[in-house]
Amino acid sequence: MTAIVAAQGLHKSYGHHRVLNGTDLDVEPGQLVAVVGENGAGKSTLLKALAGTLKTDAGTVRLSGTLGYCPQEAVLSDNLTVGQHLRYFAAAYRLADLGRGEDLMERLGLAKFRDTSAGALSGGTRQKLNLVLALLHDPDVLLLDEPYQGFDWETYLRFWDLVGDLRARGKAIVLITHLVFEQDRFDVLADLVDGRLHLRDTTATVATTTLGVDDDRL
Amino acid sequence: MTVSDLAAVPTGRSSAPAVRQFGTALRFALRNQTRNRLAALLLVGFVPTWYGLMQAMVGHQQLSFKLFATGRTLTVDGGELTLISAGLNALSLIVGFAVFDAIRRTLAFDRRLVFAGYRQPTLIGAKTLSITVISAGVALYAALVLLGFWRPSPAGWFAILAGYVVIALTYGAFGLLLGVLVKGDLEGFFLIIMGGLMDTFLQNPLGNPLANKPVLQWFPSFGPMQFAVAGSFGRVALWGHLALGLAWAAGFAVCGLIVFRLKTRTGRHTPHLGSGSQPPA
Repeated sequence: MTAIVAAQGLHKSYGHHRVLNGTDLDVEPGQLVAVVGENGAGKSTLLKALAGTLKTDAGTVRLSGTLGYCPQEAVLSDNLTVGQHLRYFAAAYRLADLGRGEDLMERLGLAKFRDTSAGALSGGTRQKLNLVLALLHDPDVLLLDEPYQGFDWETYLRFWDLVGDLRARGKAIVLITHLVFEQDRFDVLADLVDGRLHLRDTTATVATTTLGVDDDRL
Repeated sequence: MTVSDLAAVPTGRSSAPAVRQFGTALRFALRNQTRNRLAALLLVGFVPTWYGLMQAMVGHQQLSFKLFATGRTLTVDGGELTLISAGLNALSLIVGFAVFDAIRRTLAFDRRLVFAGYRQPTLIGAKTLSITVISAGVALYAALVLLGFWRPSPAGWFAILAGYVVIALTYGAFGLLLGVLVKGDLEGFFLIIMGGLMDTFLQNPLGNPLANKPVLQWFPSFGPMQFAVAGSFGRVALWGHLALGLAWAAGFAVCGLIVFRLKTRTGRHTPHLGSGSQPPA
């Protein structure tokens, strides 16, 4: 199967500190990839590079299809309500209606905060809104940076139900986390160490085998 | 590095995105800029208090004010002249502060909107129009409150209103520039307060013996002050000086919007129809 995300030889340094050192990553439609690493390993840098919000020193990223990016810190406008955020991003994505946004709000338990300003939301609820904005246009590729930070247990489970639906519909998901509680949820687990990805476990069809490269490459 | 081929626009997309995007961005930009409680408090409380305080302190001593366009020196009521100066000062602080705060707080959010597909020119156009509307509205309010302290001729009042609108636009644009350049609240507030105080008070001969010197032509409030005083005391319309004030506003706005465009630029390509199979450029 053709990779929907193909990153090759990503390099990024901040001054003398080398964060990405030839990172490769291929993700196929319907695949869920977790990028794991210690604090400061460069996980968010990698995701920003994949999303295109950060210019790398070298390397290429090829994405096919629409992209949804959920940053680690909830990027919201405190004076706007939850509903206004949805309308703003529906205009950005050029969506004709808010049907999907309403569905996502219901599933994540956000609907009751529709008329609440983002500035008055709790940390976990802000994170829900942050996630909904990334999912609003039903993208083909999802890049999620610590998406369930601050979620309560019920919301955490709802999140995984949502991810299951997305995978079933062929959406590719790259998720960053520093803690993996349930490894079997993922198709691929990759540790980011010294700026390169190291495969931890492959329980599903992984690009490594089909591309005939070493374990540094997914 | 490049990110290429964000293809396959999903179904259900709006057929008139540009108009819808502009309307949405304008509505929410106005909401953001009118939700600043401190600026609202300053508007309601500070403007009349400032007028009253300045009038009580200055009294009605006679002052000489030079109109640089004609070379005439007007002898004017110092209290009335100071009311104009106080209005310009209050507007520089309130509008500059409100716009700075709104722009700085939403910069990362605007970047996310652009990343999600918002057209940068649309966002810039909406922000510019919202700042213009807010500036004009606040200037009108300050000019109306002025009538509670002094009743100039109708033409004179309109000249003051025009000067107020231009100074509000100038400091709104200055707030925009600082909002995209300055990272901390304190630095921005300090620059607006010091800049506004220095600029507007130097124009008033009451507190500044240099007020009629040519050096003041290089300050942003010079044009609006000259236009307002000439219109209200000299019955002359110095359009060139009003245009000079607008040039300051345009200069600040262009610089601010260029920086805004650079800071909200993303490496992501706008989604388009395509196969997604081409190699990156």
